[in-house]
Amino acid sequence: MAFWNKDGKSTPTEEQILGELKKVLDPDLRKDIVSLGFIRNLKIEGSAVHFDMNLTTPACPVKDQMRDQAIALVKALPGVDSVDVKMTAEVRQAPQMDKTAMKGVRNIIAVGSGKGGVGKSTIAVNIAASLAAAGAKVGLLDADIYGPTTPIMLGIETAPKSVGTRIQPQVSADVKFMSMGLLVKTDQPLIWRGPMATKALQQCLFDVDWGELDYLVIDLPPGTGDVHLTLAQSIPVTGAVIVTTPQDVGLRISMKTLRMLQQTRVPILGIVENMSYYICPHCNSQDHIFGHGGGARAAEQLGIPFLGEVPLDMAIRTQSDIGSPIVVAQPDASSSRTLRQIAEKVAAQVSIRAFEAPVLEVE
Amino acid sequence: MPLDQKASTPSRIKKVSPLELMIVWADGHESHIASAVLRRECPCASCRDEMTGARILLPMHVADDLELRKIQLVGQYALQFEWADGHHTGIFSFELLRELCPCVDCRKKA
Repeated sequence: MAFWNKDGKSTPTEEQILGELKKVLDPDLRKDIVSLGFIRNLKIEGSAVHFDMNLTTPACPVKDQMRDQAIALVKALPGVDSVDVKMTAEVRQAPQMDKTAMKGVRNIIAVGSGKGGVGKSTIAVNIAASLAAAGAKVGLLDADIYGPTTPIMLGIETAPKSVGTRIQPQVSADVKFMSMGLLVKTDQPLIWRGPMATKALQQCLFDVDWGELDYLVIDLPPGTGDVHLTLAQSIPVTGAVIVTTPQDVGLRISMKTLRMLQQTRVPILGIVENMSYYICPHCNSQDHIFGHGGGARAAEQLGIPFLGEVPLDMAIRTQSDIGSPIVVAQPDASSSRTLRQIAEKVAAQVSIRAFEAPVLEVE
Repeated sequence: MPLDQKASTPSRIKKVSPLELMIVWADGHESHIASAVLRRECPCASCRDEMTGARILLPMHVADDLELRKIQLVGQYALQFEWADGHHTGIFSFELLRELCPCVDCRKKA
């Protein structure tokens, strides 16, 4: 059925527009945007078409591409002069999550590494800050009891307040965060046996007022210890990101953490290679100090996504030291772009899991 | 998902009765495991030696009519049971549960 407007031109029908929009595929979810339910509030006013595109994450890496494609297709319909698209996002809840004590938390992303010192916390902080900057509600739990660094990287080192038995997380860079390091004085070490670590982690998960979160990023300690096991046993982790350096030693130990997570059926969202190369501040030449391509090769062998290479960049380090993550302080720096792309890929992988993961319950 | 992973991924978990657990696996196979069998095969450190794997709990000490009280999911990889005798420390990975399937086909493969 075609309508005719004042100028005698035909107005497209809703079916025609949805038919065109069905040609736009979400490359991560491998379905068209109409079947995925992304198109909302479709309005046709004469030759002007308006609709919302409601994605599964505000940090969608192909957001612009899908919007531009949708606009071009609808605009090509006869009788359409203007297309106005409002981009919105609603992060889906991982299917297992609503059954736990952390009802408001939609997805949990664990960031782990094999050996220490690979920049795991730096990556975790910048992923969290990138997702928050994209408009998502983000939390960060620093569960590295041996070397809690996020209070330094986020510039708040005072203990959180408690309301009743609930702990109020600190907020920095729009990220709600809690660190095991905030449970003791800055220069005091946590000297805990396994059961204490387990209890403290559960307290940070369940007694902190996380509220509504699209993503809770958990910065794990290096290796495969009590914290990992407690996490894998206490909550359905949506997925894990493994951080490694390109050198063989780091990679081989990362594999142990990866295998442990796989054994406890935590889906692996991908590998990030940190300290991939050094950019000389004098001549801008790139040096692959720790070797090259190790992370990408490992990801390919294991059949898991490779999320990106982060350079050894002095700016990343200085921003971490002054408590203001580079993705927030210098959003246009090339390292910020790299880190943001990694965060977007992580968000895309989380969306894929939310669609694929089966719901398991005991009847 | 590769076939061997499907074989150890549950799609349905049901306590059919206090004496029987049913698991339907992602490969379509259906396992019915008796409560007493689960208790006898408990992998926890007080039922099996951590280093050698030798039995500490002897099968004869578990009554055939020992009832299952509670079944709980552990993360996304295992189940934890509580029996009428109060024992509850064993964590049964999905792989172990599939190995415990008593059906003739699975016994032949084992």
